[in-house]
Amino acid sequence: MKYLLRKVMLYVFIAWAALTMNFLIPRLMPGDPVALLVERLQGRIDPAAMEAIAESYGLTDAPLLQQYRDYLASLAAGDLGLSIGFFPVPVSEIVMGALPWTIGLVGITTVISFLVGTGLGVVLAWRRGSWTDHLLPALTFLNAVPYFWMALILVLVLSVNLGWFPVSQAYEPGLTPGWDWEFISSVLYHAFLPAVTIILASFAGWVLSMRNMTVTVLGEDYVTMAEAKGLPKRMVLVNYAARNAILPSVTGFALSLGAVVGGSMLTEVIFNYPGVGYTLFEAVQNQDFPLMQGLFLIISLAVIVANLVADVIYVFLDPRTRQEG
Amino acid sequence: MSSDVTDPVGPGNGRVVLEARNLVKDFRTNKRAGVFGREYFRAVDDVSLELRAGQVTALVGQSGSGKSTVGRLLAQLVPLTSGEILLNGAPVAATRGRAFIRYTGTVQMTLQDPFASLNPLHRVSYTLGRALRIHGGPMSADDVTERSLALLRKVELGPAELYLHRFPHELSGGERQRISFARALAAEPKVLLADEPVSMLDVTIRKGMLDLLDQLRRTEELAVLYITHDLGSARAYSAETLVMYHGKVVERGPSDQVIHDPAHEYTRRLLAAAPNPRRRLAG
Amino acid sequence: MRLSRFLPTSGKVRAGLIIAVFFVLLAVFGPLLTSYSPQASGTDLLQPPSGTHWLGTTQTGQDVFAQFVYGARISLGVGLVAGILSQIVSVLVGVIGGYFRGLSDDLLYILTAVFLVVPGMPLLIVLTGYLPSRGMVSVAFVIAITSWAGSARVLRAQTMSLRRREFVEAARATGESRTRIVFSEIMPNALPLIASGFLFSVIGAVLAEAGLSFLGLGSLTTTSWGSMLYFAQSAQAFLYGAWWWFVPPGLAIAVLGAGLALINFGIDEYSNPRLRTGRSRARAVRSRGPHAAALSTAGASAAASGAETPGVATILHDDAPDETVGSVPAGAAPAPPQIRELDVPGKPIIEVRHLKVDYPGADQVVHAVDDVSITLHRGELLGLAGESGSGKSTLTNAITRLLRNPAQVTGGSITYHRSARGRPSGPTTGGSEAEVEAIDLLGLSTEELRAYRWDELAIVFQSAMNALNAVTSVGAQFDDVLRVHRPTMPAREREALARTMLEKVGIDPGRVSAYPHELSGGMKQRVAIAIALVLEPDVIVMDEPTTALDLLIQREVLDQVMALRDEYGFAIIFTTHDLSLLLEVSDSIAVMQRGRLVEYGPALEVYAEPRHPYTRALLASLADMGALV
Repeated sequence: MKYLLRKVMLYVFIAWAALTMNFLIPRLMPGDPVALLVERLQGRIDPAAMEAIAESYGLTDAPLLQQYRDYLASLAAGDLGLSIGFFPVPVSEIVMGALPWTIGLVGITTVISFLVGTGLGVVLAWRRGSWTDHLLPALTFLNAVPYFWMALILVLVLSVNLGWFPVSQAYEPGLTPGWDWEFISSVLYHAFLPAVTIILASFAGWVLSMRNMTVTVLGEDYVTMAEAKGLPKRMVLVNYAARNAILPSVTGFALSLGAVVGGSMLTEVIFNYPGVGYTLFEAVQNQDFPLMQGLFLIISLAVIVANLVADVIYVFLDPRTRQEG
Repeated sequence: MSSDVTDPVGPGNGRVVLEARNLVKDFRTNKRAGVFGREYFRAVDDVSLELRAGQVTALVGQSGSGKSTVGRLLAQLVPLTSGEILLNGAPVAATRGRAFIRYTGTVQMTLQDPFASLNPLHRVSYTLGRALRIHGGPMSADDVTERSLALLRKVELGPAELYLHRFPHELSGGERQRISFARALAAEPKVLLADEPVSMLDVTIRKGMLDLLDQLRRTEELAVLYITHDLGSARAYSAETLVMYHGKVVERGPSDQVIHDPAHEYTRRLLAAAPNPRRRLAG
Repeated sequence: MRLSRFLPTSGKVRAGLIIAVFFVLLAVFGPLLTSYSPQASGTDLLQPPSGTHWLGTTQTGQDVFAQFVYGARISLGVGLVAGILSQIVSVLVGVIGGYFRGLSDDLLYILTAVFLVVPGMPLLIVLTGYLPSRGMVSVAFVIAITSWAGSARVLRAQTMSLRRREFVEAARATGESRTRIVFSEIMPNALPLIASGFLFSVIGAVLAEAGLSFLGLGSLTTTSWGSMLYFAQSAQAFLYGAWWWFVPPGLAIAVLGAGLALINFGIDEYSNPRLRTGRSRARAVRSRGPHAAALSTAGASAAASGAETPGVATILHDDAPDETVGSVPAGAAPAPPQIRELDVPGKPIIEVRHLKVDYPGADQVVHAVDDVSITLHRGELLGLAGESGSGKSTLTNAITRLLRNPAQVTGGSITYHRSARGRPSGPTTGGSEAEVEAIDLLGLSTEELRAYRWDELAIVFQSAMNALNAVTSVGAQFDDVLRVHRPTMPAREREALARTMLEKVGIDPGRVSAYPHELSGGMKQRVAIAIALVLEPDVIVMDEPTTALDLLIQREVLDQVMALRDEYGFAIIFTTHDLSLLLEVSDSIAVMQRGRLVEYGPALEVYAEPRHPYTRALLASLADMGALV
């Protein structure tokens, strides 16, 4: 389990680095943007809030180290400051309201897209040399389509022209959130199009990388031996080829997750979906810097946790990491 | 019986060129010891040897015995943990910088895998030209070509002009190994450390390669360290044989004596394990 | 090096290059095609494409085509600048960290990990949010900061592997300086990766710029594809069905991205030949000979269904015959093969008659196996000797039906004589006199072949390190064979059998739950032998089974194999380049040279009196090198 322990230590470090980056960015950016911001806000919001904001940006006389200590202390207490756009709502409250929507939408679609893409990648590798090779350029194209543009096209065709799906929101306005069928079905109905967007825009990447890995692995001796053992094709493919080829895909999860998260955020904007992506968009529009930073922090932490989960799964998949010493 | 090796002691009068005294090399392993420490693995344990001008010394061992590490230590490619290397009687420690480059002017090493030891993207002319320029100082392009051709002839690759502009993938394994020798000879070294020069080659090519090595030691008065896992060829081509096991030299002596009258249990087991059809005739 | 080497032969790469060049030309010369300014409003509001406005107009009457071509400049410009900056950082961090190692590498590794895990887009948004002025260059700069890590990690891994390659060590031993090693030995070999990293950086940067502009975080005074989408979105263009406004920029991004990715396919296929598809492979498949359909599972089923090609069987053979340059004087007539009578007690079990296997090459066909006839008898150990390129692997692959494309059987036959033994009980003895059924091995259907494999003929591969599946336990690798070939055997018996077999090869039965990486090289080879024995096959093909082992372990494994043969009575085809080993263990020996059988007969007779000049030369060089003392 030393492998996992080392990974956890690395992620703790990365989390710390993200926290620190979050602290340093407003203080180190050129041109003193915070002073400009405070200047711009002068008179628009009440002086008490002004003071709180100034303090949270370190526009105090306290030395940097002291500010850093205060920053960490308030983080530990779950305090992310106050939102400017929705003053005086605490940032943490807004973030917590947005987070479940995103985790639900992006979490589920990412898992579906990974499973579908990886499975299809194995099939394409197996059928290599047949007509399926012609799917590759199409998949390459799909992989390069920006999420938000895909969303626009789907909205145009399926919502505006055909009227099959709602254009925006996470559920029918006027419904009270609760665990009843009416609400849940409305949520699923509204989530369908954003989910399809994210899956369509992200699964091709998994297909292409899994296909390449599987094709490479199919040339290995252990696959030849499995074939020589007289095992059925499916068994050779799944237990030998795919089982080994998936390892780099799981490791590469970190590389891809960032792109998926970024794309999903833009998708939320198109659909006015009340998750962290849309909230971040709003924060940007309102120049709500405390909210922006709070969201950045929470997204980073969520991605770190997702990476940790991927590493735990990796340990189950690869016995070599379970070796002691 | 090898008839080619007529003069195993060679013309150099057995003068010691390179000497190793009590070499020790520890490698850090991936295992952790305690919180910060690492476990160490002793790859080479108190090895001493002498290489003499015009003479081949064989260093025999199975994989993991530390024989290749001894070669790398002597080439100063890796730093010693302890011990001493003496060149012409004077201690040298030159694993980097100008001192190392000067050292490689006298001591050259060739590696085992002829398919991997030449950069696939460079032509023979580049590989030889670099070696010539490093050790011969600035010289004109014509000089480099001329001396490259001379090197190719020396390793019996002909017509030399044909080989100069080839890429490694256009050469066979044996030809590549000869290019490696030519590159080593570009420095006009006094010592050649040959790490398993024939183990990756076909049997019919091996003999030519070893004959070449034997000829070079005589004409260039090279002190040669022949690193191998094969006791048979060690006996046929070297004057002295050292047998390594688990980082230590367990047996040393004149090659014929080591093979015909092994003193150490390990050497005896190796000899017994070597495949030999005569075993069947006898049994 | 001819120029044509640099022209892409792959259709994918050509298409990609055409796309990339098209967009570059569009960005450079596009603005000359329009008289409109991208920002200027007009009186035609939200018009569909027409002769005056090629791509229609926006809500404020701006010309979409003008915006599109001017936008191409910004989008491509940001993409290129960010791509170059990010790749410079990747190369510095990856190559320097990977080559020099030590503390600086540890720090760079952690830094890379941070930027790899922290999601780029949110960081990008926060950073741009704080930017005092958002010009093209500063946006590109911020994008580069957030996007270098992935490529740096790949380059680091590649550099670390290149660094261990022998040519780098050889360059060091020659006396090359570190800088030269990094720049002229390592970097050129990492070039495909750097190029592919650059392409991906450009795609990523174009996408990132579009995303930022779409959020209103780009430079809103200039027009880019992203800002077009931003204005289209905020004007709710899709509600009005104004597709001409938002379809072109998004489509352009997708097509450009796909184009660069297609170029990257070419780079991938260049550095990993297994990934190749298309013409060169298709040609090899099309020109199959008369036996083609029976060649492999792939051939039979693909011909029938056109789709059922298992990937395994279509991989290029990595072991194609090596044309040794100038090893034999041209024009010299080959000496005739020397075939002697065998006196082996068993009945024939495998008969190879006049077998021919060809590799169609670009210029000429290589006859990897050329008119070879051999017979394996029950209980016999047949040694197959030959150097690299002799065709011995091709011959055994034909017998085991594991030939890969483009190899094709162009003539001859392989017959297997099946004994009607009462399966699955009890060991059979060599020379069983039970009734015999002759099977045409090359004509077996996929299903028949599957049933025949391992049950009647098993294989021990050269390197057990690669032949055992690293991610499943030793037990599981026994188990799948038994589940498939002995479907009625209960799980408990299957495990008991696996344990028994391990014991037979001298391994503690408790290791049945071990994974391959927990075993030493010698133990893995024993496990491979135990798995081969589990169904008690009549024939075992051993392909250089001891080559990767040390002398002492080789001896132990050999003794084990001989003892098991005495117990079970299977016949062995044993290939190796080590002639002295073969002479010691085999009953009969077949010596191959460049696809032909040059000498065949009882091992001791061949040893005592070699007749073919090649065999004589082999034995002579062995003797010279002290191997036959």
